[in-house]
Amino acid sequence: MAGNETWRLIYNPDGDTADIVSYGASIAEGRIAGKYQLSTTLVPDTLVIQKSRELGIVAGADVVVEKELAASQKIAVARLPRQGRNGARPVGTVQLAELTSKASSKFKAAEVDPDEPAVLIYTSGTTGNPKGAMVTHRNLNFQCTTIVKSLIDFSPDDRVIGVLPLYHIYGLANALIVSLHYGACLVLMPQYSPQSLLETIEKHQATMMPAIPSMYQLLLGLSRIKSRQTKIPKSLKHCISGGAPLPLAVLKDFAEAFSTTIMEGYGLTESTSSVCANGVGGRFKDGSIGRPAEGVEMKVVGEDGAELPDGQEGEIAIRSTTIFRGYWNNPAATAQVLDADGWFHSGDLGYRDADGYYFITDRKKDIIISHGYNISPREVEEVLAEHPKVSEAAVVNLVSPKGEETVTAFVVPKFSGPDNTPAAGEEPPSHRELQEYCELHLAPYKRPRSYVVLSALPKSATGKVLRKELRGDAEDKRLIDRSAR
Amino acid sequence: MMFGKSKAAEPLPLGLGATLEAIAERHRKREAIRFENRIYTYQELDEEASRVAGGLASIGVKKGDRVAIMLPNIPEFVFSLYGVQKLGAVAVPFNTMYKGREISFILRDSGAKAIVCLSNFAPLIQEIQSECPALERVVVTGQRSFVFVDPAGTVNAQMVFERSRFPDPSAAFHAIGGALVETFKALGVDDAWYSHIGAVRASGKKLATIILSEIENLYVANVVTWLSPMDTAPLFKVMYVPPEIKERALEPMTSVKQESGKDVGLREFKDALVAQLSATLQVRFEPGKLTRDELIAYEKNRALAGRI
Repeated sequence: MAGNETWRLIYNPDGDTADIVSYGASIAEGRIAGKYQLSTTLVPDTLVIQKSRELGIVAGADVVVEKELAASQKIAVARLPRQGRNGARPVGTVQLAELTSKASSKFKAAEVDPDEPAVLIYTSGTTGNPKGAMVTHRNLNFQCTTIVKSLIDFSPDDRVIGVLPLYHIYGLANALIVSLHYGACLVLMPQYSPQSLLETIEKHQATMMPAIPSMYQLLLGLSRIKSRQTKIPKSLKHCISGGAPLPLAVLKDFAEAFSTTIMEGYGLTESTSSVCANGVGGRFKDGSIGRPAEGVEMKVVGEDGAELPDGQEGEIAIRSTTIFRGYWNNPAATAQVLDADGWFHSGDLGYRDADGYYFITDRKKDIIISHGYNISPREVEEVLAEHPKVSEAAVVNLVSPKGEETVTAFVVPKFSGPDNTPAAGEEPPSHRELQEYCELHLAPYKRPRSYVVLSALPKSATGKVLRKELRGDAEDKRLIDRSAR
Repeated sequence: MMFGKSKAAEPLPLGLGATLEAIAERHRKREAIRFENRIYTYQELDEEASRVAGGLASIGVKKGDRVAIMLPNIPEFVFSLYGVQKLGAVAVPFNTMYKGREISFILRDSGAKAIVCLSNFAPLIQEIQSECPALERVVVTGQRSFVFVDPAGTVNAQMVFERSRFPDPSAAFHAIGGALVETFKALGVDDAWYSHIGAVRASGKKLATIILSEIENLYVANVVTWLSPMDTAPLFKVMYVPPEIKERALEPMTSVKQESGKDVGLREFKDALVAQLSATLQVRFEPGKLTRDELIAYEKNRALAGRI
């Protein structure tokens, strides 16, 4: 590179929002041969440095900005040009629209082995890393043709609310795939608020809604605010709740307020979502996950794998065509949950009553389930342990007597003094530092809501962290102090 | 067998891709998807899925390959999922809120050959792409990028230069990122740091972003940095973006003032950046203005930017 080469510097210290969009694009356009040939001299490479005199948003074509509101708040808006085939595009990427514009609208589906995975859904287990559950074509087909069919009457006239995230097995199987299977219409919602959900149900006269308990609770709450102008939609025929237990009172009140029927489903990623439902035909048992759907066998087994009689607590095992094929590239983890006879060992502890209704009592393994998402304490602990001021951490879900859950991290600081003692001026990590670190590395649902600094974690003789003690300790601070010394 | 039994009673095929085709055959004109004020019929959905299948095939995705999907509930999620199914490939949809290390693990473990994501996430994926050797293509969709402009704190720097100046995009990223790091250090941000592609960070937080685009023979680099902290809350109140994008935009940010404790003005920043770029690129900078050609383009682009 020649040291005497000259670049042009354009300095625009008092620009506006539209300038931010326009300068770079204009220089690029001016440089591209054959556009406007008024100048004959070659324009040099250019650096533009600008600052705006107004508050503003430079927005891509699909960003929705409320024009009047922005104007009233004195916020300027400048649109980026729609990226197409001819515009500038980020290096190393290809636009989906560019790929599809060149492709045929008739692509005959390839022949597939129905027992090959259609999707891999990553789910957290007891180990630090998530595992890719292989959900096959046959699993998804069976979920639609047999399981859902035995619970709900789907027809092409249905309009289904697509508010659950489609990357999660519940939304994928019980909103998207089932809706398409029956030729129904799926109303996609990329963002959730109780108000927008209420409005979407009403606007589209939705007839089906798979959702999670908090959504039902909040919708019910909204419907009770009499002063609100919003109409309570009466179009819903069937609702399904899943992901966490829904209090029976909420369930009944919701069904009444919205003139609908509601069922509680139970399922896991490994069972391609639903295998069991409470409320089929209006028959509920409080606190139960219900009875197995058609095409599903369930039993409760003891430590030795033998089936237990009704009323005894053990692990819930499930056998069905809807049970997944195994974990991707992980035969060891697969062997731990799928036995030779095809039973899937769910890791959920519970019992069956004399009427054949199942009840969940606890988790066998150290998995935290929060709002339908599995959280691996190990994964969160490994992230925390990478913080420069953390020596080790243990993460547990603290449940208050009222049932409120708080994922809590117990953190042992790392100090530079001998025997991990603080050197002069050395402080343990602050709540805020830990929080920001988790924000950088973990999805929001995995982040602890509370942090407790300890000088040591309670451990067994073999060095295993005693999570139970940490859980119990939440109410009894003296125990923390004792284990810390 | 009942006489005259309708076609609709025939069992559907087991494969997801073939299922969509069979359903689309039965319900051509019926609504499949509603999104905002748009309706897609089953025929349109099948055609869109076909185009995704063909498009992915054109970049080398084959039956059995894994294709990651990192999209919110938008029609492109459905098109991509079923396009992948038509190809006989395996879809790997995952949580759009995931961060770099979470995404990196899933891409490595699944061996995904391509990912379909929002254009906003391209820099995030590219930051980890070197850890994911199987990942060949980053397919972006949606035009949901945005940049906030704050008179108090944000500075925008744009560079337009010949692609031939650098052997490849990563060399260009490296040069610009390196010059920015030195600029920040000269301004008192001692631990400014840049790995490759994406953001310049200080104390783990985002201090500047670099987006490198290409058009014909040119690279266009867009740099945004913050001299002082900005309050994004009022801006989010007037716009609608899906939560995962907001989350990404709100990733912990910092500013020159927060990191160095100093009030650095625009002129001081400009002088520091020009000095570092001069050294890195071995060029001189001369103040200039837009040419006549560029002014025509500038007026047109301003007009286009003004439509909402």
